[in-house]
Amino acid sequence: MKKRLSIVIGSGSILCAASLGLMRALKREGIQVDMSVGCSGGSLYAASIALGWDTETAQSLTVDLYKTDIVEGYTHNLRAAMAGEARFTEASGLVDDKVMLDRLAAAFGEKTFDDTIMPLYVVVTELYSGEAVVFSSGKIVDVTRASSAIPMVFPPVKIGDKLLVDGAVSNPLPIDVAIKEGSDVILAMGFELPTRKRMNSYAAVTSHFNNLYMNNILKSSFAFYNAAHHAELIPVLPAFDRPIGGFDHHQLPYIIEQGERAAAEQIPYLKRLLAESS
Amino acid sequence: MEITITPGKIDVLAVSGTIDALTAAEITASFNKHIHDGHPDVVADFSNVEFMSSAGLRAILASVKEARAAGGDFRLACPQPAIDKLLKMAGFHNIVKIFPTVQDALASFGD
Repeated sequence: MKKRLSIVIGSGSILCAASLGLMRALKREGIQVDMSVGCSGGSLYAASIALGWDTETAQSLTVDLYKTDIVEGYTHNLRAAMAGEARFTEASGLVDDKVMLDRLAAAFGEKTFDDTIMPLYVVVTELYSGEAVVFSSGKIVDVTRASSAIPMVFPPVKIGDKLLVDGAVSNPLPIDVAIKEGSDVILAMGFELPTRKRMNSYAAVTSHFNNLYMNNILKSSFAFYNAAHHAELIPVLPAFDRPIGGFDHHQLPYIIEQGERAAAEQIPYLKRLLAESS
Repeated sequence: MEITITPGKIDVLAVSGTIDALTAAEITASFNKHIHDGHPDVVADFSNVEFMSSAGLRAILASVKEARAAGGDFRLACPQPAIDKLLKMAGFHNIVKIFPTVQDALASFGD
């Protein structure tokens, strides 16, 4: 029986574009993916894979999305919120999400999970309980927007009766979803967020600690899934030798190349594994 | 995958090749046989391990448990950077003693 291969793309903002390099490597080798799982920034690429987009189309989505205007007003609104001049609740964000929503809508339009060529699962977090919510139906633009709702930066998204934020808050590399849905082999691409050596502002310190939390959640959950999974989990961990900012889309070729390089290291084993009967 | 044993006060088991789903059962059996042959303290030299997957990680964990249950310990030496990154990601540095050299690993048993 053919082994069921899943791809899982974790959170990591623009770094998630490295998954395009992974897909390029798989395509070159003629390896078919059977299931796509993502969260946060990774949900955009998981969706594009599940929709059967080529890497060029997905790359243009990245170039359009990661422009600084999607976070316009952040600094001004942060100051106002800190000074108590602007009302801020759990339903608030420092950035108006209209630009982001427009870009996602331009990319995904009215497409739903029913339009995909393979099962797609996107992980989002319920704001009040912190529990992961796995979507396998609905409008892709709504679900990817919710999964990318960086807490306090973008407003949460209401779907049904749930108020939802970034999937990375509960599950930055949702390998468990691929396990639960019956994968035999899982290619998991995860990203450690950058940390800082010097911090000169409240925002910088907050960002540093946030990234430490996220990296520790990533490692803890990876360790657990690795120990618990009966089948094979193949981590694909791109290495970046330079700092990459959230909007450095000029670094895209490098990011994709590093994804392809990390994937290439795993391809010989993956091919041997898939050649074995399950 | 090959395992070469260098006997000593503490035996060194040098692994070369890949530790993955296709070789994990063999490596676990070899390690565990060695442990139960009266060598519960083991140093595994990973300097020539080229590739390791999740099955490889589980194989190491099985041997670590086996050695500790037998009253000894299973310690790792000189993993390559890519392997070490995987070990760190999977939390192995928290539960397994890992050393930069075989000499350091051997010396640690005198602590």
